[in-house]
Amino acid sequence: MDGEVKEKKQKQHQQKHSGPKAERKKLKKQGPSTEEDARKRNPKAFAVQSAVRMAKTFHRSQDIKTKKHHIPLVDRTSLEPPPIVIVVVGPPKVGKSTLIRCLIKNFTRQKLGDICGPVTIVSGKKRRLTFMECNNDINTMIDLAKVADLVLMLIDASFGFEMETFEFLNICQVHGFPRIMGVLTHLDSFKNNKVLRKTKKNLKHRFWTEVYQGAKLFYLSGMVYGEYQTQEVKNLGRFIAVMKFRPLVWQTSHPYVLVDRMEDLTDPELVRTDPKCDRTVSLYGYLRGTHLKNKGQVHIPGVGDFQVADVNFLPDPCTLPNAQKKRALNEKERLLYAPMAGVGGVVYDKDAVYIDLPASHVHQQQEEVRPTTELVQSLIDTHATLDAKMAASKVSLFSGSATLEPEDVVEESGEKEGLQEESVWDPNTQRKRRKVVFTTEEEDDVSGSSDDEDGDGEDSDQEEQGEDEDDDDDDDGKENLSTFLKEARAKCDETEKTVADAPPVKRQKLEERKVESAELPAFADSEDDLEVSEEESGDEGEAKRAGDSGHCSEEDEEESGEEESEGESGEEDNAADATMKEQTASEEEEEEEEEEEEEEGGLRWKEGLKQKASEAFLRQQQAAPNLRKLVYGSVVEVDDSEDEDQELGGLFRVSRPQNSKKFQANAVDSSRFCPDASHNWDLEEMLNSIRDCFVTGKWDESQDAATLLKEDEEMYGDYEDLETGEVHKGKTGPKDPAEQNSEGSGDTENDEDDDDQEESVVKVDDDEALKNKRLEKKQRLKDRFNSEYDDGDATYFDDLKEELQKQAELNRAEFQDVDDETRVQYEGFRPGMYVRLEIPSLPCEFVTNFDPHYPIILGGLGSSEGNVGYLQMRLKKHRWYHRILKTRDPLILSLGWRRFQTIPLYHIEDHNGRHRLLKYTPQHMHCGASIWGPVTPQGTGFLAVQTVAGVKANFRIAATGVVLDLDKSVTVVKKLKLIGYPEKIFKNTSFIKGMFNTVLEVAKFEGASVRTVSGVRGQIKKALSTPPGAYRATFEDRLLMSDVVFLRSWFPVTVPQLYNPVTSLLLPVGQKDSWAGMRTLGQLKHDLGIRYKPNVDSLYKPVVRAQRHFNRLQIPKELQKALPFKSKPKQQQPKGKTPRDLQRPSVIREPHEKKVAALVHALSTVHNFKRKKAHMAQHAKHKEFLQQKGKQEEAKMQRHKEARKKLYRAMGQADQKKHRSSLKGGSQDD
Amino acid sequence: MASQGLAYDGCNFFRQRLVLSTLSGKRVKISNIRSKDDNPGLRDFEASFIRLLEKVTNGCKIEINQTGTMLFYQPGLLHGGSVEHDCNTQRSVGYYLEALLMLAPFMKTPLKATLRGVTNDPIDPTVDMLKSTSLPLMKKFGIDGEGFDIKVVKRGMAPGGGGEVFFSCPVRRTIRPVQLTDPGKIKRIRGVAYSVRVSPQMANRIVDSTRAVLNQFIPDIYIHTDHMKGANSGKSPGFGLALVAETLNGSFLSAEMSSTPQGQGDPMLPEDLGRSCAKLLLEEVHRGGYVDSSNQSLTLLLMTLGQQDVSKVLLGPLSPYTIEFLRHIKDFFQIMFKIEVQKPSEDERKGGDKVLMTGVGIGYSNINKTLK
Repeated sequence: MDGEVKEKKQKQHQQKHSGPKAERKKLKKQGPSTEEDARKRNPKAFAVQSAVRMAKTFHRSQDIKTKKHHIPLVDRTSLEPPPIVIVVVGPPKVGKSTLIRCLIKNFTRQKLGDICGPVTIVSGKKRRLTFMECNNDINTMIDLAKVADLVLMLIDASFGFEMETFEFLNICQVHGFPRIMGVLTHLDSFKNNKVLRKTKKNLKHRFWTEVYQGAKLFYLSGMVYGEYQTQEVKNLGRFIAVMKFRPLVWQTSHPYVLVDRMEDLTDPELVRTDPKCDRTVSLYGYLRGTHLKNKGQVHIPGVGDFQVADVNFLPDPCTLPNAQKKRALNEKERLLYAPMAGVGGVVYDKDAVYIDLPASHVHQQQEEVRPTTELVQSLIDTHATLDAKMAASKVSLFSGSATLEPEDVVEESGEKEGLQEESVWDPNTQRKRRKVVFTTEEEDDVSGSSDDEDGDGEDSDQEEQGEDEDDDDDDDGKENLSTFLKEARAKCDETEKTVADAPPVKRQKLEERKVESAELPAFADSEDDLEVSEEESGDEGEAKRAGDSGHCSEEDEEESGEEESEGESGEEDNAADATMKEQTASEEEEEEEEEEEEEEGGLRWKEGLKQKASEAFLRQQQAAPNLRKLVYGSVVEVDDSEDEDQELGGLFRVSRPQNSKKFQANAVDSSRFCPDASHNWDLEEMLNSIRDCFVTGKWDESQDAATLLKEDEEMYGDYEDLETGEVHKGKTGPKDPAEQNSEGSGDTENDEDDDDQEESVVKVDDDEALKNKRLEKKQRLKDRFNSEYDDGDATYFDDLKEELQKQAELNRAEFQDVDDETRVQYEGFRPGMYVRLEIPSLPCEFVTNFDPHYPIILGGLGSSEGNVGYLQMRLKKHRWYHRILKTRDPLILSLGWRRFQTIPLYHIEDHNGRHRLLKYTPQHMHCGASIWGPVTPQGTGFLAVQTVAGVKANFRIAATGVVLDLDKSVTVVKKLKLIGYPEKIFKNTSFIKGMFNTVLEVAKFEGASVRTVSGVRGQIKKALSTPPGAYRATFEDRLLMSDVVFLRSWFPVTVPQLYNPVTSLLLPVGQKDSWAGMRTLGQLKHDLGIRYKPNVDSLYKPVVRAQRHFNRLQIPKELQKALPFKSKPKQQQPKGKTPRDLQRPSVIREPHEKKVAALVHALSTVHNFKRKKAHMAQHAKHKEFLQQKGKQEEAKMQRHKEARKKLYRAMGQADQKKHRSSLKGGSQDD
Repeated sequence: MASQGLAYDGCNFFRQRLVLSTLSGKRVKISNIRSKDDNPGLRDFEASFIRLLEKVTNGCKIEINQTGTMLFYQPGLLHGGSVEHDCNTQRSVGYYLEALLMLAPFMKTPLKATLRGVTNDPIDPTVDMLKSTSLPLMKKFGIDGEGFDIKVVKRGMAPGGGGEVFFSCPVRRTIRPVQLTDPGKIKRIRGVAYSVRVSPQMANRIVDSTRAVLNQFIPDIYIHTDHMKGANSGKSPGFGLALVAETLNGSFLSAEMSSTPQGQGDPMLPEDLGRSCAKLLLEEVHRGGYVDSSNQSLTLLLMTLGQQDVSKVLLGPLSPYTIEFLRHIKDFFQIMFKIEVQKPSEDERKGGDKVLMTGVGIGYSNINKTLK
């Protein structure tokens, strides 16, 4: 590349002197002016010649303009987007790992050995990259194509394109087209420069046809010490750094995580006792795509569907630099995070810190390599994990305390990260030193942290005990609780953290409580704490109720109506009587609606009118958290109850919510909101309270007609003549200068604020203020004019774009200043967060056969995408696949996140919308396909392969298509012809037999139309009693006994319900590309050696044709008589016997007579002969005569001819003479 | 493969659960349905509702135990099309229609439902009210187009019924996000005073008394009297009033009242009915918000099922039904709303506290609609 650049510099640009280009340039030089001149000189020539033509050109230009538009989308990218996923693809030995290594080195100045799993780096001030290498397993290719933002497609130039490249391109096309950049390697193998150039060109053009015209193709010319040239890698890095991406539909509508770290959380004891037990695993990675909801469903391609037990976000391991001023990143900020590759030795979990020592890493690698020693390895592993657990549990307490103040955690970890990255730089010996640094930091942290350290220590001890004992004791919990409660009263901020439950439940509860605390920081007073504690003590059995202050939580109210009213009376002393009224009302409605009362209680604003301001203020303080808690506070319990249901017989049961539920569980289900009984709408003050809701009421200053009118007057009545500098004034007085100042500092966009102030009339003596005001007014006028003017030619497209822009701004702004804990609840985990997902009950093979070279993707599923149903799709066999596909042959589909095997039925739509079954896919046409599979939104693309095992030479993608429809039933039919034979034939009516077997069957088809082979149509009328299944049918013509009657019908076919996810990730290491599912019929026959036994009737035999024999034509006698003689048959047959009377007797000759007759015969023979001879002689003579005569004739003719010739000559001469003489004579005459 | 199910106790909020289950595709198990009651199990109207749900869906699975105290519901896909249903007369058509309004935009084919039964009763929102408030509200979410209508073909009062309602709704693939934070001022009040099988004068009497109350606020009041006769008048006598207040920004607040069904409680004077209905409207105005109390849950549902954008709506005080609905939404869609209480300022006279609900849609797309 470098050399090329230099070469280009040396070569001078040669100006074209001839040809079209040069001419065009010449024209351009004088161009525009001449045209202008022409226009001016000869306007008629440029006038509209044809309106139609003009309309057409206009139409065309508009078309072209509109074609450029894309449907505008709301920009939903978060402020801190997740790292860009760069997938490096290519056939083996093409230099993928080398390229990644070079790029990483380019960006972070670090060398990575083995590239295992995703490697995340910080590449710039605003950009992070995740590199992932894609091996040649088609499973991996499919999975990574779904998550890739940018694909670096490596091509070995010395070899040319390989099948994998095209396969990957086609996979990309189906699953949304990520950015693709080609990289040509092995260019140094070309010795001949010309060949090199030609190859480059060829490859480029082929690449362009596949991707798009002008797609970027990079050339890596050669290796230097096993690495690509620095300059070229740098250039590539620059391209990556500035690349823009378009949103892909599937990716923007689904959350997903490319997992870069995996931890097995299963109890080691459980694994020891049962190595095959289901594992609980936590997976880490950046969240991408869209918002992820907690407790959703995810699909792990290659493993299956799983319910996420818990999601939480962790501090970002690869934070973007804070300072924006600098141009480049400093060394500290060039972070690298690749836990699977063994980089970034310290990892922070939710409640633990893991230190990855190189030795243990090696150890793990060994384990992966040798799966045979699985048991031993797992035993060793369990020990290690237990240790880690112990260590973790200790740490967890500290971090547990920290969870209350998430900022602390972030800060803490941020500090550590900086160190961590530094240490990665260093060789192994220094790593240990860093560890020391870490511990001191930890100590500092501990000492520096809040003063409840002792308490935490106690708690941690207890928790440790709990873990050691491994039993979920209520008493233990109580103890814990009591100690905790003491602390809680002492310091209300941290009350929420201890928990009195079994560990798995505990964690959940803890979080929820944490959430609450985070949400109501302002209201986290002692009351709230008490409530929380009450919630907990609920397990013990609603112990105490002391200190329940005025604002009562929902739980209390739910417990007993009386208490509630008491609490309320405490709250509203002044309005005692009103409360009494309320109480009676509540008692009435108690059974019906419990919460409704609370609602009234919480929003008993009516007394607010009467009450003093102070109390109103107090209530205002409390109302907001109350309402939130009112709605979602009890959600915690609902979740608990769900858990119980799921656990089915768990040890703990929260009894209180059940009680509270009973009140309302079976009430009347109506959406009607019964009115507040305390409102008396006869009272004038009540009526007055809503006066302003009507147009007749008082308006806002900004909207009041009178004010607006005044403002308009002011605006338009007051102007400054810009030329003369004169100021014409309106009638209104000037404004308060102070207000104007505030206005000026505020903003210009809202007129309302300004207008508020225009009413106030204060004397002004400040010229500056006046000037300001004028300027402002001018600006406002200008704005108004601008907006009106711009709106004038704003198209629909512009409006739509603007609307979406506004929505995007709103989306960003709405939750910007809410802290993350709360924000996550409202909108889910947003993309860009580093999240940790806990998934229980993963198959053990996932952990034991874990191979970091294979990507683990957590694909979030939308609502009801976890269900199965029938999918109707449009499918086309891939044009490069060499066979057609057969109905009912299993096929592996990649659809959505999933890869699964299913059995499709192919069909095509007839003109009347009927889906007719096809036996095979058409060769070059789309057809429909129905499968039983996971519900996926319509419009999702899919691809099909026959097998994912091994590598074949041929193109593997069998078909591609798109989902059209989802349903719970299918309507595919196949043609069925029922055949019957006439039994008896009357005129047009026949009895048909053999089509059905019973009368009932016939009854079902009464009225159906039938047809004979000869095309006579008919209808089924009624069944006959005998034989069973026969029926009477009428036809448009009389049938023959030889006719075959058939009934055309359509028979619905069922789609086989096979949904078999491809579990390739669960296979042992090294065999992950050998997943084999159900075999096709052909494969099965081939494997089992079964030969197809054909129907004998279907075989081809030599055609033997029998001689055809035609009978004679019979003409009836009558007809024969009537025929004219010409057409009468002529004695074609011998006459019949002559009757006896007509028979003549035969003549018997005498001997004499015989002699005479013989003589006569002899004589006549002689005579005949003579005569014949004479005739012959005569004939010959005549012939001769004719010949002679001919000759004479010829001679005669000759003579005649000559004579005539002579004559004509003479005549001609005479004529000529005469003519000449006449001419002479004429001249003489003249 | 199977998605997780949810379990609930008791028959309350029965419709919410089934509707949300259908939309989210999650299974639902409801147990202890009136298990302690003298007459345990599902009531006829609930069974009728289940049957209606079966008619509009394809492939749903419903299991009910012998006593009817336990229900298991596995939702199918919403199909739509022409549906006729005889609603049980224990509850009015509004009971069924409310659920259909939530489901109709997400069907495979546009829904054309004919519901027969009680059109107006005091328990549920009546057809007139849904027509005047829910439809314009849904239009704000982009559910609009030809054949979006509720038509009262015949009117049938409780307890006899005999009414007929035609509801048609187009299908949508996605729902628009909305910002309904400023309801504006009420510019006019409209209403329908209906009477069947009683003197037509009743409606006029209602109108007069209503106007007497409402005229204090606004002069633009028009109450249409709707007296249905003969075959269109159902089986029971009765009368009632549905009032709608329309604001400048296109929000509709409504209140309604029906006469007590024949043979159930004290009969009611039309004048009293008119007055109390007018007061109910005032109450509704006092509660305020962009959406009236009976449509709160519909609004929140459509916000939830919108695209992944922020929607905002100003509501009056949350009704208990809505509160439970919010909880159910959290169960089914893992979505929470940001709830902010807006206090009226001291000098404002615009009724009570308002609640500003802010939420992000889940990016729901209609998986039933066929792609052509």
